[in-house]
Formats: sequence, structure tokens, C-alpha cells
Amino acid sequence: MNKFLVFLEQREGIVKKSSLSTWNRVQELAALRGESVVSGILCGPLDIQQLDGTLSGDGVMYHASDDGLRLYNQKYYTSLIADIFKREACSALFFADTAMSRDLAPRLSVRLQASLLSGCSFVETDAAGGCVRSVYSGSFLASFVPKQRERIYILSSRVPEAAYFSGGHLEFRSLDTQSFTAEDLFPVVRRIVMREGSPDVAEASIIVAGGRGMRSAESFARLEQLAALLGGSVGASRTAVDEGWRPHAEQIGQTGKTVAPVLYFACGISGAAQHLAGIGDAGIVVAINSDRHAPIFDVADYGIVGDVHLVLPKLIDSLKEFLKKK
Amino acid sequence: MNIAVCVCQVPDTASVIGYVDGSVDYSRVNKVMNPYDEYALEEAVRLKERFEGSVVTVFSVAHDSSKEVLRKALAMGADGAVSVSCTEKVSDPFQAAQILCRAITNFYSVALPDLVFCGKQSTDFQSAQVPSMLAEMLGIASVNGVTALNVSDGFLQVEREIEGGNEYIDLACPAVLSAEKGLNVPRNTSIRAVMEARKKSIDFSTSSLHNDPFVVMTALKPLERKKICCIVPDENELIRLLSHEHNMF
Ligand SMILES: Cc1cc2nc3c(=O)[nH]c(=O)nc-3n(C[C@H](O)[C@H](O)[C@H](O)COP(=O)(O)OP(=O)(O)OC[C@H]3O[C@@H](n4cnc5c(N)ncnc54)[C@H](O)[C@@H]3O)c2cc1C
Ligand SMILES: Nc1ncnc2c1ncn2[C@@H]1O[C@H](COP(=O)(O)O)[C@@H](O)[C@H]1O
Repeated sequence: MNKFLVFLEQREGIVKKSSLSTWNRVQELAALRGESVVSGILCGPLDIQQLDGTLSGDGVMYHASDDGLRLYNQKYYTSLIADIFKREACSALFFADTAMSRDLAPRLSVRLQASLLSGCSFVETDAAGGCVRSVYSGSFLASFVPKQRERIYILSSRVPEAAYFSGGHLEFRSLDTQSFTAEDLFPVVRRIVMREGSPDVAEASIIVAGGRGMRSAESFARLEQLAALLGGSVGASRTAVDEGWRPHAEQIGQTGKTVAPVLYFACGISGAAQHLAGIGDAGIVVAINSDRHAPIFDVADYGIVGDVHLVLPKLIDSLKEFLKKK
Repeated sequence: MNIAVCVCQVPDTASVIGYVDGSVDYSRVNKVMNPYDEYALEEAVRLKERFEGSVVTVFSVAHDSSKEVLRKALAMGADGAVSVSCTEKVSDPFQAAQILCRAITNFYSVALPDLVFCGKQSTDFQSAQVPSMLAEMLGIASVNGVTALNVSDGFLQVEREIEGGNEYIDLACPAVLSAEKGLNVPRNTSIRAVMEARKKSIDFSTSSLHNDPFVVMTALKPLERKKICCIVPDENELIRLLSHEHNMF
């Protein structure tokens, strides 16, 4: 019998979409493996009704609803997860790829003496449980195999989303967290501040990115307009960030975010290796650049050779027209 | 303050990484300090400049020598360096963290350093696991991907990026912090600093591995990224193609 445990992350009382999708993928994996059961763990107070119709299959959901777990707490979250994992004699623990899981998983790997496989874009369904992920800034694809009996997986958001199938039964069990006190010196999150507006680039399915060719912070308004039309997010090259035109949170590439949108627009971006490192998993790439020989055209599916300041207004107008007709 | 900084070397992204018989060909690869480790080291050196009597020591674990990278770290302002070379190839982050942990506890013998800085991730295997593993092994707290740091009286206020926002965290020393781009702008090293760094000592040692790796890499293949780009004459044609050929909108 395989026992899979899924960590579901909440921020401000809302369970992350990527966690819900990880749960559903693990249910699929369990079905393919056979003889497997899935449990979940939720930390922090939240309204569990929001989960109705989002989680597939049967399972037990452990919920530690203590108010002290509202904000992320490295120490308590780590011990709660480790305790459940050991008590239930689980064989594998799954996370969605987020800042919180990248904090927790390596600690748990040491504490549980479990093999940690991060950034998995694919997990084998056989007992070996290997995974595939890209390395060297997206220029190679590597296969990794866990050697320990216990395993921890961080599933990359690039894995195709698993479908929700209804009909399962989820049993909720509360976890006792009385042993937690706030006396010690371990990190406490004072507050979190969320950015307003468009979704995070790392999660966006359409990205409109700009580089030095945009020439100013003001001209990014066009990219914001285009992103809004398409329901996407704005991204930036390092140059655009270093110039102070965009926040670092939007930087894409080796020292920025790795993104996997279905559609990527590179506007006034040359296509340096360090930038391309972040878009290896992008679907359709569209380049708009005045230099026909810019390297970005080597990795693009479609290109428009021209000045972004002339092309973008026309593109926005044509798109508005097109969307209106639909 | 006693500050430890962990640095590793990675292939320079500007050099072409070759591929021969199922593995990476490093012959044309230039090795450089992991870019995130430069932010880590810069922050450590700035703290040293602020708090008199502080000592910054860099630690590096490698199968082959990482002397070049350590020389650079010394030129950037570290006081000393510890280089551990391993008798076998270090093949996963767990092993790297284990050896670093031992090197750090040996070096500081009686007490842990106040701060241990790492980079957010190495740019070769991009595991982003060593800092938190090391913290767990040392039995201390950690914060990954730090973009702002404020230190006073052994207390730390740090800021880091999370999906869609920022997290503000308070904690006490000792702790492991991993540096994200934006934390600072690393200094350039002057010729004088490079000359002076030659006088500083690097403590070389060798170590065998404690444990088998937790994870092994079994295959590697290059990803072909080149595409045939279709240059379109105008915006309308682009919209038509994206809509009709790819069901985009
Ligand atoms: C260690 C390291 C890490 C790095 N990490 C990253 C990273 O994470 N992300 C990243 O992006 N970069 C990164 N870089 C930097 C990278 O090497 C490039 O310098 C950077 O990506 C270039 O940004 P750019 O394409 O905006 O600017 P440029 O290379 O200057 O290109 C500008 C492009 O715009 C075009 N252009 C100019 N005017 C117009 C116009 N009016 N209309 C249309 N096109 C126009 C030009 O033809 C040119 O192709 C890193 C570098 C190093 C050394
Ligand atoms: N072999 C090593 N020697 C010293 N520090 C290392 C080593 N491997 C990783 N690190 C540190 O851990 C950080 C994250 O690396 P990784 O977990 O491999 O992505 C790096 O930026 C370094 O600060």
C-alpha cells in the first residue's frame, strides 16, 4: 500500500490553485499506481467550504486550524507535516512549486531522511518514482531517481493540469496544535503584502514581456494594456528591471523567474542566453524586434520585424477589433 | 559578528555547454562564482563593514578545486576561506549540505556563526535545496530568497518575495539566509583588492562522503530550442495565425 500525503497551501485563508491541482494530479498518480491512498494536510484557519467541488477522489484531509498558523511558520509547519508523515507511515509527500514549499521541503528531506525531487515536470508512475526536470538554465533535460524509501516531490506548475473528477469522499480530521507556543526565536512572518493587479508572472498563461527596446517605464503602459486585453501579465528582461522600469518580481530569466505561459510576447528583447533560460517551457513565442538578426527570432514561432512603438499600438487596436467581432 | 558564506562554482552561462556521450562536456566551459552567491557575499561584507570586529569566512565544497572562486571571494572582502575537496563526486544537495555543515561546525567549534549566507540557488542544477537543508542540519532557522535585510542587536528583519507579493519576517541569530537578486549590487573588485587577497589564506582540506546520495541523476539530454520563425507582415496576420492555428483567443 502506498500512502501519499499532499500539502495544501493557504495564504490569507485561500487555498492555492496550484495546491488543488497538485492534489488532483496525485489522485491520478495514485489511480495509475494502484493500491494507493491519498491524504492531505492544511495549516491555518480557513473555510473548508471553498474546497467543495475542487478536490477529486477519496481521502483524509488533516486540518490544523489554529489561528497561530494563519501566517506561515517554518517551525510549526515543518513539525506538523513531519508528524503526520511519520504517524501515517506515508511513502511520499507532494508539494506544488511555491516559495513556501521550497522552504519546507528541504528541511523535511533532512528530518525524514527522504529523497527530495524538486521542479519535477513529470513523475514516473512505477515504484522507482523518478522524475524529469530541466537543468543548466533549461538547456538540458535530466532524469533523477530517488534512493530513499521515503520521497518528497515538488511538482512544477508546468505539468499539465489534472482534471477534477467528482464522486469521491473527503473526510476532514482536525489536528491538535496545543503544543505550539510563540516563545522561541524561530522566524515569524510579521505580515505579507500582496501586489495589486495582474497575476504573478510565474503563474500567468499569457505573458507580454518588454526589454531595452521599450526605452522607458512609460511605454510599458502599452504592454499593460495588451496584457489586460489578453488576461495576461507583464514580464521584463533584466535590462528593463535594472533600468528601474519594472519591479524585480517581473524579471524573467536566469536570475529572475522561470515561466511557462502558453503564449509569450518578447517586445524589444534581444534574446540573451540568460533571458532564454527563463522561457524554455513557453509555448508559442512571438518576437517583436527591429533587428531581424536578434537571437530572439531563433527561438520564436512568429516574428514581426519593426519598431515596438509603432507595432504595439496597431497590434492593440487590431486585437480590440478582433475580440469585439468574436 | 561571525559570518559564514557558502559559495559554489557554476558554468558561466555565456559559454557553450557541450554534450558528449550522455554527459556534459565541460572542456569549453568557464567556471564562475554562482551569481546568487555574489549577492550573499556582498551582503556579508557590508555587515562586516558596519559591525566592527566581524569576520567573514567563505566555505566551498567541490570535487575539483574551487580556488579561483575563493580568490575572487577574498578579493570581494572575505577574511578567510575554507575549501573542502571531496574524494568522490558530490552528487546531490544532501551530500553538499552535509559536508558544508561539518566544515562549518568544525571551523567554529564552540558556537555557530551568527549568520550563514548562501545564494538562492545554483544556476547549474538549480536545486535551491542546500540552504534549508544546511539550516535543518545545523538546527537553526532559515529564510530563502531574501531581497532586503536589516540587522540590529542579533535580530533580523528580512523581506522576501512570495507568489504575488512580499513576506516580512522577523527572526533571531543564528540563521541561514539565502540571497535573491535585488538584495544589493555586488561590488567590482579593484586590482588592489585582488593583490591583497593573495595575502589571505585559504584553508584546504579533503573529505570523504558520509552517506550515499538521496537522489541520483540517471540521464541527461540536450534540449533543442531552435525554432523556425515565421516572419509575419503585419499585426492582423499575427492575430489571425494565433487565433486560427493555435486557438489562442
Ligand atoms: C549572471 C547573469 C544573469 C543574468 N540574468 C538575466 C535574467 O534573469 N534575465 C534577463 O533578461 N537577463 C539576464 N541577464 C542579462 C542578459 O545577459 C542580457 O543583458 C539582457 O537579457 C538584455 O536585455 P534586453 O534584451 O532587454 O536588452 P538588449 O540586449 O539591449 O536588447 C534590446 C533589443 O531591443 C531591440 N530594440 C531596440 N529598440 C527597439 C525598438 N524601438 N523596437 C523594437 N525592438 C527594438 C534591439 O534590436 C535589441 O534586440 C543576466 C546576465 C548575467 C551575466
Ligand atoms: N558545493 C557547495 N559548496 C558551497 N556552497 C554550496 C555548494 N552547493 C550549494 N551551495 C550553496 O547553496 C546555494 C544553493 O545551491 P543549490 O541548493 O545547489 O541550488 C548556493 O548558492 C551556495 O550558496
